[in-house]
Amino acid sequence: MLKYVTRRLLMLIGIVFVISIGSFYLIHLLPGNPATVIAGVGATPEYTAKLYKLLGLNRPIYEQYFIWMGNVLHGNLGTSFISQTSVTSVIGAALPIDVEIIVLSQIIAFATAIPMAMRSSRRPDGPLDRVLGASSFTLLSIPPFVVIVMLVLLISIKLGVPHTGPSSYVSLGTDWVANLESLALPAFTLAIGSFVVYYRVLRSDLIATLQEEFITLARSKGISQRRIMWRHAFRPSSVALLGTAGVNIGGLLASGFIVQYLLAIPGLGYTLITAIFNSDYLLVQGIVFVVSVGVVLINFTFDFIINIVDPRISRE
Amino acid sequence: MSTEPEKLLVVEDLTTTFATPGGPLPAVGGISFNINKNETLGIVGESGSGKTVLSRTIMGLQPRTNVTVTGSVLLNGHQIVGASENEKRKYWGIDVAMVFQDPMTSLNPVMRIGKQIDESLRVRLGMSREAAKARAIELLELVGIPSPERRYSAYPGQLSGGMRQRVVIAIALACSPKLLMADEPTTGLDVTIQAQILNLIDELKERLHMSVILVTHDLGVVATRTSRIIVMYAGRIVEIGDTREVFTNHRMPYTRALLESSPKVTNPSHTRLIAIPGRPPNLMKLSAGCSFAPRCAYATERCHQERPELQSSGAPGHFFACWNPLPASQGAPTS
Repeated sequence: MLKYVTRRLLMLIGIVFVISIGSFYLIHLLPGNPATVIAGVGATPEYTAKLYKLLGLNRPIYEQYFIWMGNVLHGNLGTSFISQTSVTSVIGAALPIDVEIIVLSQIIAFATAIPMAMRSSRRPDGPLDRVLGASSFTLLSIPPFVVIVMLVLLISIKLGVPHTGPSSYVSLGTDWVANLESLALPAFTLAIGSFVVYYRVLRSDLIATLQEEFITLARSKGISQRRIMWRHAFRPSSVALLGTAGVNIGGLLASGFIVQYLLAIPGLGYTLITAIFNSDYLLVQGIVFVVSVGVVLINFTFDFIINIVDPRISRE
Repeated sequence: MSTEPEKLLVVEDLTTTFATPGGPLPAVGGISFNINKNETLGIVGESGSGKTVLSRTIMGLQPRTNVTVTGSVLLNGHQIVGASENEKRKYWGIDVAMVFQDPMTSLNPVMRIGKQIDESLRVRLGMSREAAKARAIELLELVGIPSPERRYSAYPGQLSGGMRQRVVIAIALACSPKLLMADEPTTGLDVTIQAQILNLIDELKERLHMSVILVTHDLGVVATRTSRIIVMYAGRIVEIGDTREVFTNHRMPYTRALLESSPKVTNPSHTRLIAIPGRPPNLMKLSAGCSFAPRCAYATERCHQERPELQSSGAPGHFFACWNPLPASQGAPTS
């Protein structure tokens, strides 16, 4: 187990290193060079040349990378040329909103998907299984940006629930009830997609597990069906669920961006899209780096949980 | 033995039919027998003869859908056929327990073995966590697992096949069942381990005063360990009797074919084994006659037309189903 974790950690460091090179290089992919971009349209060539030197762009690229990486390791992602604020502090303000939306959506998704999969897998192709199968497929085919618009129409505009409409984000520190209200629709929208995936993955794994001989043995002990489902069938069936969840949460960041933008919730997604429109490249770079590392860390965490759930995986 | 021994299990006209897309499949057809207390009964037959289905049906452990069971199984006075899952749950583990065929698949791979033994003790016998753990360690010791305290927290994947089968036996014994069903308990194991596991079951049967049903395709297994044998073919009993009687004085040609096809220690080396020609019949296309007739050297027209019922051989408790039985006392004496 320890050996496995160490090996995964080393791999993690390697991946983060590759991501850092990618995010660093992003700014060099821009047309012209960063100095022309930063100087903006209509700047004098002298000014651009001065800026070029000031930014250290005349140095070899690997040197530039190490300077940048050194700063990143000290928590400094640079200062935006557009807003003259520290990129780290902008991300620091926006990231918790994304985290909150994702955590809320995952709580909703797991709390609905697990009990429903546990029920329907007991009678594959039974009435409940058919209804859930058909409705989950329907839900899967509606994209989040359609769901959020429909929800806003129904809940914010028709029913008039406060703090749910666009541009009505309330921070957690100000009023937590209003904060939950303002994040309920985005969380719910993201939860739908996760629910469908989790329900389907867990259901099919449970159906396979319930065919196993050890389930018959558990049955022959004379223990209740409930106990067989939760104590014997659930754990060995949850490996694919956890793996899917790790990948899915990474994808949720992206769906979250669209929903945030539509509702003007100042999370990372909204900040990123605004930064792109403002040509605030350092901020874009910082967000790309933080999000990529975040996705890798989430997957690493889920891999670790899978190992605890199924001891067969880390055993050679 | 002048007094009638008490019957622990009485099976009458038991049939198990699976509903398949191709039509009904009669896996077990009209089986009747009984078991006395503290008796070991062997059930032998080729693969696909219905042994496993029979043993599961007796326990009431058949799948819950697409199966029809008729007849009667009285286990320690409880009717199993037609009983609800909730009723059967009360008998499982306590009246009857099963040792499964393949210890590689019958243990939960993500649950520590101690917890798998504990579970019956805590849920069925209401033991406290500590008492159950102590008892589970005792059981591990009883089935011959070295350093049981340490093994208590092992996962099945950390044990060998033989050790896993011992754990499966420990689970079966947890609530001191009156009847132990051993469904090919050694098929998945190394030859060297097989005898150990069989001896263990024998020894535990004596110590715990259980009855045992030993299901196997290996006649060598049942020869010395059972008091009576049932020979099954195509889901039916073709011969039943005291073990000695069946070995030395079998009347059904199938029983002889089965004996001739299994190796014996007393044979000189390089003796050819006589394989049974043909294959077991398709249970969905059974003829009206004897199911063994197509493979039988003694088959006559009648065998193909009319199914023979079990008839007494004269010896007490010895019955066979054959129109052209082998002459009495013709069977080759075996080890």
